[in-house]
Amino acid sequence: MKQEVYYITAAELAARGRKDIPDELQSSRHLIYSSPATLSFNSPGAQGFGVKRAGLAVPGSVMLLVAPGCCGRNTTMLSKLGGYSDRFFYLLMDDTDIVTGRHLNKISAAVKEVVDSLAEKPTAVMICITCVDALLGTDMDRVCKKAADHAGVPVLPCYMYALTREGRVPPMTQVRKSVYSLLQPRKKKSTTVNLLGEFAPFLDDSEIYDILRQIGVRKINEISRCRDFDEYLSMAEANFNLILNPECRLAAEDIKRRLGIPGIELTRLYQIDKIHRQYELLGGALGVAIDDQIYFDQAKKAVDDFTGKYPNTTFAIGECLNAGSFELALALLRYGHRVSEIYGTVSAENFIYIEKIAQISPQTKIYTNLSPTMIHYDCSDGVADITIGKDAEYYHPYSVNVPWNQERQPFGYSGLRHLFEELSEAMERRGNH
Amino acid sequence: MKGLLKYLSPFAPDQSGAAGVLYDLGGITVICDAGGCTGNICGFDEPRWFVRKSAIFSAGLRDMDAILGRDDRLIEKLKDTAKKIDAAFAAIIGTPVPAVIATDFRALKRMGEKRCGLPVITIECTGTNLYDAGEEETYMELFRTFVDPETPTEEYAAGVIGATPLNISSVIADQKIREVLKEKGYEHVYCYGMGDGLDALKKAASVKKLFVIASSGLKAAKYMEKTYGIPYEVTYPILPASVKETFHRLHGKKVLVIHQQVLANEIRNEIQKQQEADVTVASWFMLKKEWKQPQDVLLKTENGFAEYVEQQGFDVIYGDRYLARALRNYQGEWIHVPHFAVSGEYEHDNGEIGL
Repeated sequence: MKQEVYYITAAELAARGRKDIPDELQSSRHLIYSSPATLSFNSPGAQGFGVKRAGLAVPGSVMLLVAPGCCGRNTTMLSKLGGYSDRFFYLLMDDTDIVTGRHLNKISAAVKEVVDSLAEKPTAVMICITCVDALLGTDMDRVCKKAADHAGVPVLPCYMYALTREGRVPPMTQVRKSVYSLLQPRKKKSTTVNLLGEFAPFLDDSEIYDILRQIGVRKINEISRCRDFDEYLSMAEANFNLILNPECRLAAEDIKRRLGIPGIELTRLYQIDKIHRQYELLGGALGVAIDDQIYFDQAKKAVDDFTGKYPNTTFAIGECLNAGSFELALALLRYGHRVSEIYGTVSAENFIYIEKIAQISPQTKIYTNLSPTMIHYDCSDGVADITIGKDAEYYHPYSVNVPWNQERQPFGYSGLRHLFEELSEAMERRGNH
Repeated sequence: MKGLLKYLSPFAPDQSGAAGVLYDLGGITVICDAGGCTGNICGFDEPRWFVRKSAIFSAGLRDMDAILGRDDRLIEKLKDTAKKIDAAFAAIIGTPVPAVIATDFRALKRMGEKRCGLPVITIECTGTNLYDAGEEETYMELFRTFVDPETPTEEYAAGVIGATPLNISSVIADQKIREVLKEKGYEHVYCYGMGDGLDALKKAASVKKLFVIASSGLKAAKYMEKTYGIPYEVTYPILPASVKETFHRLHGKKVLVIHQQVLANEIRNEIQKQQEADVTVASWFMLKKEWKQPQDVLLKTENGFAEYVEQQGFDVIYGDRYLARALRNYQGEWIHVPHFAVSGEYEHDNGEIGL
């Protein structure tokens, strides 16, 4: 049997169009390979900010995972290495529970026992439920209300429903809504803004902070920077939300409906002209002029420095990174580099980039990490000077790698600048060795 | 409260046990889940995942697949994969999703064999049971399905049942097992599912003796004895030297050993060969009555575990140190014996022990 890895060139994919994406690139049409490259993202409860860790974004909260033991297994690692060992609790289901749903009768008592066992009363208990309750159709709002009344603390649902990962409300979208759901209406402060979207702060030197201050904002809230529950509650005072991750749209809509805080969505981009255009549009929406020249120049210098020193560099780009794989690939091509391979999730939304990639670099190979054929990927086969993304490193272990999957979130010009500075440093390190 | 864990995390589940037994056998393993269970198995419960490849895949079930019971789609995906990957057989492993919707695994097996042209075995895991239950069922399925009764006897060959990272907390200890048994005169030692593939398992009826190194292997060993007359011995031949070194100071002590039963019994036997000590074995996993002494205890709840240890007043406990989290008042000595299925700690391929 010929052991071939499935891929399609950018030109072939663009020619097929967004309505004719090959089955091999659609994860619902084949078995899913969870290679070591994919483990950081291919599981709602896996590494990074999965549902479990994200659900604990509310300061002072704890989590009770109500599920069969298998769903909580990897939390052992998260507890040990992530410093969460005193914040996770488990109510394990048995065979009868998963058929009859009788575990629901134990949740209130379990929440109370957890709360009573803690030296300090938690600010909230997040109840994380999984595929079993998705199929049982559990009314978690009712279960949480009953538990809250019984234990005397707010109790909120976190839905770790892997079954709905490609549905209308995937788990990471739902959990973003949950973590903001404790906010209650407060008097608005015109100089306060929330940055929504991530569970770790944006990089301190991101221009987004300076630009907001430039237009008169005095207080910028992020859930990950809230030192305590009171500070978290003060997010309800914001005049508007900046939505910096599309997975936070549902939460922003909910905040707008409940608290009357409107939102403006910005996208993380790596094409410098598009970053500039986005700030122009933001200024237009807010009725102010935004001066971003200094940040533009800094980012451009980083891009030019790298490109001048390492022209025509060949990249392979993964999807376990703080960027859209295809947008980043297009940016690198537009800066004059080459992209040999992209390991990404092809969707209709990405076609705007794929079509442009096809024009500049028709032979760029597009793979999906999740294809069973990736088991045959020969790491000595491809060509890449640098890989970006943890997953891309797996395929090219001997190339220079910039993981670019740090918890502190890059954004805008600052993100672009840091990326190219890291690329330069990584190439220099290789040169030194 | 039964089922409530305040200090410990859940132990390795049955589907991880099943996948672990199948890992090196050269089949296509399909975890019948939405993706999370496979992520747990590959990302956490199977340390070999980062050392060598195995064709383990998620069925990638979505809500409508489960609600509508679209087994035919799963079989189509398996058929498609079987065309692209060389495999001697396919195994479909259950998880909570098929348990809730009562998937007919016998029908899956029949459909799979018919459509894919491969032998298919199914392991009905639910995710609510522990890894050893999944291992036990998988060993049984494998031996029942694949052992060839016609293979000629290999006079100096031994087979090992129970060698999985979950039991032996190592990705390289199968080599040590082979070395120890070769020193006993066996020229060929087959560790089924760890370093040896399906061809070795097919010839299991030809070996001189089977060695069972974990409780999960007993049922299959008994089957092999009854069906093919192959004798078996229960032993754990690779107790770490660091553990053995501690036995000399146990005279007159009250000792608790917490681990999988075969390893725990081996520690007890070795202690009692050297010292007069009162040794009890406890386990969160299978305690087979054949190897259980009257004082031995099956641990079921975190609270029960803490109360039992407090009441008994043990001087020394052997076990994975992660379990000590549940014993807030224990003042005695703790001797660490890693158990991967408990803490995720194991011996790496470079010999280092850790997560």
